Amino acid sequence: MRVIGRRAFRVASSLGLACVLFAFLGVLTWLGTLAQVENGLYDVQRKYFESYVLVHDAGGVPIPLPGANLVLSVLAMNLVLGGFVRIRKTRDTFGVLIAHAGIVLLLVAGFVKHHASDDGRVTLFEGQSASWFESDFRWEVVVSEPQGYGSTRENVVPFDSVAQATSASPVVIELPGLPIAIEVREAHVNARVTSPRDDSGPHIAPSARDPGAGRNFPAVRITIAALDGSAREETILSGMHSTPFTTSIGGRRVQLDLRRERHALPFALTLADFRKVDHPRSNMPRSFESDVVVDGQRAVTISMNEPLREGGVVVYQASWGPQGAGPDARLFSTFAVVRNPADRLPIVACAVIALGLVVHFGRKLARATCVRRVTE
Amino acid sequence: MKLITGLLAALSVLATPLRAGDGRQFTRATVEAFERLPVQEGGRVKPLASFARFTLLRAAGTATPRDVDGQKLAASEWLLRLVLFPELARNDAVILVEDSQALVAVGLAVDAHEKRDRWSHADIADALPKLLERAHAAQMIDAGQRSPTESVTMRVAESALLVTRLGRSFDFARGRIPLVDATRVALLHPGRDAISVADVLASAEAMHAIERELASTDNARERGAIASVWRFAAELCGDDDVLAWIPPADSLDSKPDWLTPANLVASARRGEPVANEHVDILRAAEDVAARRTDPARLEAATLRLTGLVEELATRRGENGTVRLEAAYHGLGLLAWATGLYVLSFAACSIGWLRTRSVFFHRAAWTASCAATALLLGAITMRCVIRGRPPVSTLYETVLFVTVCAVLVALFVERVQRQRIHQAIAALVGATGLFLARGYELLDGQDTMPNLVAVLDTNFWLATHVTAITLGYSAGLLAAVLGTAYVLIALVRGGSADAARQSALARSVVGVTYFALCFSVVGTILGGIWANESWGRFWGWDPKENGALLICIAQITLIHARRAGFVRDLGTCAAAAFGGTVVAFSWWGVNLLGVGLHSYGFTSGIQTALWTYYVAQWTVVVLASVVWLRRVSRRKSREDAEAVVSAVGA
Repeated sequence: MRVIGRRAFRVASSLGLACVLFAFLGVLTWLGTLAQVENGLYDVQRKYFESYVLVHDAGGVPIPLPGANLVLSVLAMNLVLGGFVRIRKTRDTFGVLIAHAGIVLLLVAGFVKHHASDDGRVTLFEGQSASWFESDFRWEVVVSEPQGYGSTRENVVPFDSVAQATSASPVVIELPGLPIAIEVREAHVNARVTSPRDDSGPHIAPSARDPGAGRNFPAVRITIAALDGSAREETILSGMHSTPFTTSIGGRRVQLDLRRERHALPFALTLADFRKVDHPRSNMPRSFESDVVVDGQRAVTISMNEPLREGGVVVYQASWGPQGAGPDARLFSTFAVVRNPADRLPIVACAVIALGLVVHFGRKLARATCVRRVTE
Repeated sequence: MKLITGLLAALSVLATPLRAGDGRQFTRATVEAFERLPVQEGGRVKPLASFARFTLLRAAGTATPRDVDGQKLAASEWLLRLVLFPELARNDAVILVEDSQALVAVGLAVDAHEKRDRWSHADIADALPKLLERAHAAQMIDAGQRSPTESVTMRVAESALLVTRLGRSFDFARGRIPLVDATRVALLHPGRDAISVADVLASAEAMHAIERELASTDNARERGAIASVWRFAAELCGDDDVLAWIPPADSLDSKPDWLTPANLVASARRGEPVANEHVDILRAAEDVAARRTDPARLEAATLRLTGLVEELATRRGENGTVRLEAAYHGLGLLAWATGLYVLSFAACSIGWLRTRSVFFHRAAWTASCAATALLLGAITMRCVIRGRPPVSTLYETVLFVTVCAVLVALFVERVQRQRIHQAIAALVGATGLFLARGYELLDGQDTMPNLVAVLDTNFWLATHVTAITLGYSAGLLAAVLGTAYVLIALVRGGSADAARQSALARSVVGVTYFALCFSVVGTILGGIWANESWGRFWGWDPKENGALLICIAQITLIHARRAGFVRDLGTCAAAAFGGTVVAFSWWGVNLLGVGLHSYGFTSGIQTALWTYYVAQWTVVVLASVVWLRRVSRRKSREDAEAVVSAVGA
């Protein structure tokens, strides 16, 4: 048993395994880069870089491959076992140990980002405020009930959990605190809602999934039923609709909406002014700047390469509009928002890796030049 | 230092053109004054030399076109000729037509021209309206759907239109505006029956006063006379967006946009005050036009015009590096460096044939060092002109990659003294500068452009971009060294100098270590920059993936060598393959047309890129041949030893 364990340790910590894993990572990166031309970043990212296994289609020939998640997980194990435990700890390997420590830090940063971060966008016209941001890719079905004094109680269901629903196998959603249930009978990742002239009522026209994930607008057909069976109503919710569907059922007034997934900001963000400055006599933008007010008190300017860091989130200048607006038009500014607990870790990792590489290769260079001098 | 100063001065004299032809002579001082005239184009202030050079590269595919007599023209000289002698310059062949079929379609006879040839404006003028019509139709088609002929039509029309407009850009200085006799506007210019645009601006305030007085009357003749003056002035000035060469008299912050004569007339027409400086500048331009046939007087007039514009630009703080930029183009440091690298490589080659002589090796070393000094000088000048770190555009990556690769190769030569690295330094230097020249020709755009907002940060340009470009440079040098090892092993076989080959392989490893340091740190710094700009450290964007691929290739090579999976030959073959990974990351991903690094897209380099890929893959195949040959030789030797020992027994 001990022999098997020793042998397993030797394989798991070997340079050979590291080389094989590097080769797989290289192939995955290369394939994932080329695939972006046809399939867009979002799909490619999920298929090649956020998966454990995948089947790559090489001109009709299916080739099974480990996904980057699997490769990186095994590589992390190999790095710890081979790069820390098994490696000889001498003056010669001191730099290597430091560089490996930096890579572990980087992997930790990636892990935290992947599992504990939220990101999205918030778009504000000049003068507008928001205390939430919404996801670029993820959607949610929201059932809200007005509570009076302008407040509402929301029940939120991620779109992913109803995405497989069909009329043959509908997905039923129980809503705590509400005397109604929702049955999702049809769901599409990208669809339009059309209203034919024959009075057959609106129906969903599914479209092909757009490789640019942010350009997909989902739609669902739902049935709302009172739990006591007294009423039943059917409607279509679409990501393209700007206003929620409102109905009274089971004696309660509820609103249903299909919207991008929302996350709370730890402060209220108000856009005071947006400026786009071009280089003189050209259409090339020199700067995009948004003057914002945080919690109605603190004025900050957000621009390219100068984000706002506040309350654990970072707010970046991402976009603006309306494109081609006249000089007096009211502009909007779109901010990318990220909540990432490991936001600053890559900087530390970079410094550690750089130090390790300089120590290791510096020693080698010094030795090579010394050997030459001695030989002379 | 004195030597370098002297050399630069000598280069400057040799590189400065003097033109005498068509009975029109420009003195050297005239051309130099014209070259350093500040203009605002592409969002920045630059010398006219830059504008002329890149306009020509775009239109003619060369910076030194030929006139109708077949004589070479420098770029500024061509532009000077075009604005002062448009009737002659219209016969200069400066419009590159890549496929004459585009002109057949608009009814032009192409028999006297090659399929790919340069045409003059006069050749095309008759068909220009039809050409513009077709170009407009082609513009409506999606770029990916356009036929090659449609693309050529668009380019030719654009060039012809630009030449037309530039040829008219001094009409305002040549033309005169007739005055209606005995009108109040004519009385403002007593004794004259026609006035210039500068006169109109000088009397703009008085003309407005007359207009105000006439507003309450119905004197159509007087009003018509004034309106006619304004209309003529506007017509003489032509387009208001062709070339802005007049700095505003106000501060830079309040008025960043430079002006054309048409802008001046339009603002004067609107009743805005006319600055005396602008009237002086227009009068100076009129002097230049009036003295065009007298070289000596033209020189004085051109110097005065440039002096006035420079003075105003300096007052606004915009003339700081214009002269330096003009000198950069005039000196032609990169051309001299290319020549010296070629010379150095030739000396190395002769040195290999005459192994006992050290003269050629010393000459090669000196030439390489001088070329590198010139290249570093050019890069430094660019940094000063732009106020940026050495790399901020694709063009600059080529220069930086070249100089870093040469410096590393020369350093390795100093350490190992095997005489192969200095030949490789010369080869890399010459190839890199030829590529830079080719890219400049292909792109035809200003190589010192303003940067888009996201790139406008010297900190990240100095750290991430510099580090990653150093990684490219060392990765490509390792590929060249690996290729040299494989080719020597293939050609010399068993007779190759084992010590030299071993030293070469060690240098491949050393350079790969160097490359890895900068590739890894540069890639991570890129992620940190992305986190600062876009809010995410890593997004699997093609450019990011390219950088990661370089790191993976180099890490794999180092680990495989450490584990003993590859020895010298395998290391060198892998390094040669690594060159394709670097090329893919540097240029290949730009051809995919997707991703956030949209400022780095380029086209027209597929052939060169694929040639490089195939060449490096061939090296890998050749390395396999060498390996098989070694295995077979070792087996034969073992068999022979077995036979000998059997016989001995």
